[in-house]
This record gives sequence, structure tokens and C-alpha cells, in this order.
Amino acid sequence: MKSRGTTVLIVIAVVAFIVLLNSAFVVGEAQQVIITQFGKPVDRQIDTPGLKFKAPLIQKAHRFEKRFLEWDGDANQLPTRDKRFIWVDTYARWRITDPLLYFQRLRDERGALTRLDDILDGETRNAIANHDLLELVRSSNREVSSESATEGEQLIQLETIKVGRNSIRLEILEKSAARTSDLGIEILDFQFKRINYVDEVRQEVYERMISERKRISDRYRSEGEGETSRIRGEKERDLRVIRSEAYREAREIIGRADSTATRVYASAYDQSPASREFYSFLKTMESYESTIDPGTWLLLSTEGEFYKYLKKAK
Amino acid sequence: MPKGDFGDFGELKEIRLPANPGRFVRIGVIGAFVLILIVTSVYTVDPEELGVITQFGAFSRTTDPGLHFKLPFGIESVEKIPVQRQLKEEFGFRTISAGIRTQYSSRRYDEESLMLTGDLNAASVEWVVQYRIVDPYKFLFRVRRVRETFRDMTEATVRKIVGDRTVNEVLTVGRQEAASVVEQELQDLCDQYETGIRVEQVVLQDVNPPDPVKPSFNEVNEAQQERERLINQARSEYNRVIPKARGEALQTIQEAEGYYLDRINRARGDSARFVSLFEAYSQAPDVTRKRIYLETMTTVLPGVGRKIIIDESAQGVLPLLNLEGAVSRKEVK
Repeated sequence: MKSRGTTVLIVIAVVAFIVLLNSAFVVGEAQQVIITQFGKPVDRQIDTPGLKFKAPLIQKAHRFEKRFLEWDGDANQLPTRDKRFIWVDTYARWRITDPLLYFQRLRDERGALTRLDDILDGETRNAIANHDLLELVRSSNREVSSESATEGEQLIQLETIKVGRNSIRLEILEKSAARTSDLGIEILDFQFKRINYVDEVRQEVYERMISERKRISDRYRSEGEGETSRIRGEKERDLRVIRSEAYREAREIIGRADSTATRVYASAYDQSPASREFYSFLKTMESYESTIDPGTWLLLSTEGEFYKYLKKAK
Repeated sequence: MPKGDFGDFGELKEIRLPANPGRFVRIGVIGAFVLILIVTSVYTVDPEELGVITQFGAFSRTTDPGLHFKLPFGIESVEKIPVQRQLKEEFGFRTISAGIRTQYSSRRYDEESLMLTGDLNAASVEWVVQYRIVDPYKFLFRVRRVRETFRDMTEATVRKIVGDRTVNEVLTVGRQEAASVVEQELQDLCDQYETGIRVEQVVLQDVNPPDPVKPSFNEVNEAQQERERLINQARSEYNRVIPKARGEALQTIQEAEGYYLDRINRARGDSARFVSLFEAYSQAPDVTRKRIYLETMTTVLPGVGRKIIIDESAQGVLPLLNLEGAVSRKEVK
């Protein structure tokens, strides 16, 4: 059996609790809050975290992120100034700087992202259409490391650029910032995440790369063959030089041998008429020994020197 | 993260309302209350982690590893950040399971790895970034979705650096240098974004020409090998032939020199013999001459096949000679 007073007390307690619950709210470390009263913004902005209070029921707290938020660009096929189609994928980081303005202009994050799509995609398109592909890919005019040259090839230097990726990026950032200043948001950074050839162009580029490699490999092959022929030629030449020089030297030695021998013989045989005559006699005698063999028939006369004593021993 | 709508208080409210008498109900309510009190106030922080405490959403303090207490019922909440752990992001490939034989995803991440080089060629670059969270406050409260942001930043930086290098540089000597520049620039960007991340290392894993171009890159290597092979072959042929020819040449010359000495010595010997002989002959020329003649005849005549001695007075003997007698020479002998 409950008394009337107890029931009233319980009801009051419950109502008070609900009111308290409705007026207290927590602001996270990464949040900022604006308060609206019947939908109209109250001149009160909370950007410190902690437990906060507002008028219950009539006021409403709207929370917004204080952190840097992401925006991911739509990967898009775009033409550059030099009429090349490329895939461009971008991203940006942004944050809510003025929650009230943001709330009034954009309402929520979806609204903000839609506006950012419009602004950033548009600026990207403009910037890309205004620059050559090279300017989008490169960011500086740095020297190419000389070690990277393919052996025997001339070092490929990069073409000089005038603007560069970074400047284009900053240009987009600056132009977009001008257009977002009255939206209560700030774009912190804008980057080209990916830039790539579209498929058809990619095939062409691959073909160019292949032909370039083919040129290099052809050169290596022909260098190999050329060098081989040169070495073969050198071998033949050296071979002939070596052989002919040896032949010459040998012949010279033989000639010297013959001439010396001839001189030696002559000095011995050519002393006087008597020695000359004796030499021819001696040589003739020797030659009989070697030229007469069992197949020889000799008709000898008794008048001759050898057989003359056969007839008479005078 | 702070529970914005006081979920825990709501729970409490429900428990109190059915405040019916009855011991078991009362004990049950008190028991549940105590249980929730303990569960929401005690927490542990693992050795590699750091606890970040927020009170009503506001950052309060950080706590080291161990057992800790906080205010219950969502007044304070804890977020644990692995500050000591080295984290890793992979680009262009994914590890499925790491181990002795690490497995990689067979799916190709071409959209991540394909990029343009400074000479407008394409290259496929796969890389890994190792990083640590050094500032949990910034990591939690400065940037939303830090991981995605970090991946985007890394891709943008790597493409920027590769875009400033020739394909040859990226594929060969410039890899290390490019990685260290990426590391530097990525760190700068991390600081600018206040991510609370420290980039420990950027490693370019596989830097390759795009698949359709790969065979022709290999062909260049093959051609280079072939060139070396051909040259080496020619050199070895040279080396096989030339030293041999040199040896043969020396042989020819030595032989000629041998002939020289042989010839000279023989000439000298013959001459010396003749000179001596002539000297002796000069003492008694007639008799010596006769002696030599007769000695020669003595040696020669026995070897003659057929000797016919003719008297000057016996004429007409020639026609009688059997000139065919060559056949019967042996009998005569």
C-alpha cells in the first residue's frame, strides 16, 4: 500500500531525472558543439570537451567533428593540356572551423562532402586541363643520377618542367580555399593520390617501353657479335704474323747457314789451282762410290788405267 | 570513445524502477550494481599499450601498462593505443599469413602499385611502411580515420618521388635513395597533419617494370649475358690457338738454328779434312792420286753388276753383248 506522497515524490524524481538527462551532455575531445533553441542558433559555441549543460527540451546540441576529416576524390578520366587522357585520383583533408556557419550552410557532413566534390573535382579538372602531363607527374628539375645510365647508353635526362606537381597542387588548394571560406570549413591539404594512364594510352606506353628495351637488347647482341668478329680477326692476324715471322726468321737462319758453309768450303777448296784440281778429283772419286751400283754395266778397256796391267805388267 | 548518450545511466534507471519488495530481487539488484561498478572501473593495459583516459569525453591522462582503476559508469572511459608495437602498411600486395613461408595474396593490387615515372614510363612499385604511434593524443583526437589518411598520404608521397625519377633509376640504383626521400617527406606530412605517427622505415620491396613489359626487360639482361658469352667464347678460342702458334713458331726457329749449326759444323769439318788431306797430298801428289784412284776402284768395282773388259784389238764384241741380260744378271753374279 503506497501513500499518495510517496507516489508524487517518485514522479517528481523521475521528471527531474529526465530533465537533468536532457540538459546534460558530453562533448568529446574531438568534438565541437553548437546549441540551437527551437531550431534557431544560440550565440553559444562549445569547443572544449567535458560535461556541459544546456536548457532542457527547448535547446538542442549539435555535435560536429573537430578533427581533420577525409575527402576522397572520385577517380576520374581527365584530359591534360597535351591531350592525354589520364586517371586522376585525389584526396584532401579538411576540418570544420566555424561550426555555426557550417551548420547553416552545409547542415552535415554529407552536405559538406557534396560541396567539396563540386569544388575540388572542378578545380582539379581545370588545373589538369591547363597543364601538360609532365608537369603533373614531376615536381622538380632534379639531376638524374649518372649511375642509372644503361651501360653504353647516353644518360637520359629528364625534361625540364616549369610548374610541377606541387605548384599545381597548391594552386588547386588555394582556389578551393577561396571558395570554401564562407562555408565554415578549411581545406588543410590536397594531394594527387594516383595519376595513371588510361588503358589505351597505357598500351601505347608499354609498346614504347618494349621497343626501347628491344633497341637496347639488339645493341647488346650486335655488340657481342661485333666484338666476337673483332677477336676472331685479331686471332687470324696474330696467327699469320706469328707463323710468317717464324718462317722468315727460320729462312734467314738457314740462309746464313748456307752462306757461311759455302764460304767455309770455298776457303778450304779454293786455295790454289792444285787444290781446286785435287778437290774435283777427290769429289769425282767419291761420287763413283755412290753412283755405281749393281745395276751398272761397265765396259772397261785394257787401255784404261786400271786394267792396263792385265795385259802387261809394265 | 565517450558514450555520448549515457547508456549506463539508462541501464541504472531500468534496474531501479521495478523496486518491488522481496529479498531476492533486492539482492539481485545490489549484486548487478556492484558487478557493473567493478566491470566499468577496472581495466588493464597490455605491455605494448598505453591507456588514454577521457572523463566525460575530455582527455584526462594516460596510463602505463598494468592494472588500473577509473571512475565507473562511463564517467571515465579508456582507449588503449599500442604505442610500442611497430605497425605496418603494405602497398601493392597483401600478406595473408606471415611465417617462415609467408603467404601473399594472389590478387593483384595494380591500382596501388602502378605509377608513372619522370620520363613518362610506367613502373610497378610495391612497398611497405613501418610506423609507430608516438603521440596517442594526436592519434585519437586530431585526425579521423588515421589509417586511411596515412595510406593516402603514403601513396601520394611515393608517387611524387617516383614521378621525379627515371624508370631506370627507380628500377636500379635509385631505389634506396627514393625510399629514404619518401621516408623524409612522409614524416613531414605526418607532422603537418598531426597524426601522432612516426615513420620508422619505408622499404621499396619489388620495383618492376609493368607485367607486359617485363619480358623485354628480361631480354635486355639475356642479351647482355649473350654478349658476354660470345665475347668470352671468342677470347677462349683466341687463347686456345695463339699460344700454340707461338710455340710452333719457336719450334720452327729452333729447328732452323739447329740446321744452321749442323751445316756450319759439317762445312768446317769437311774443310778441315780437305785441308789436311790436301797438305798430305801436296807432299807426294802423283802417288797419292794413284792410291786414291786405285782404292776407289777397289771399292767400286765389286759392286758393279757386270764388268766387261775389252782389249783394244778385239773389235766387234759389242754386238754380241746380250743387252737383254738384265734378266739374268743374278745368275752372272
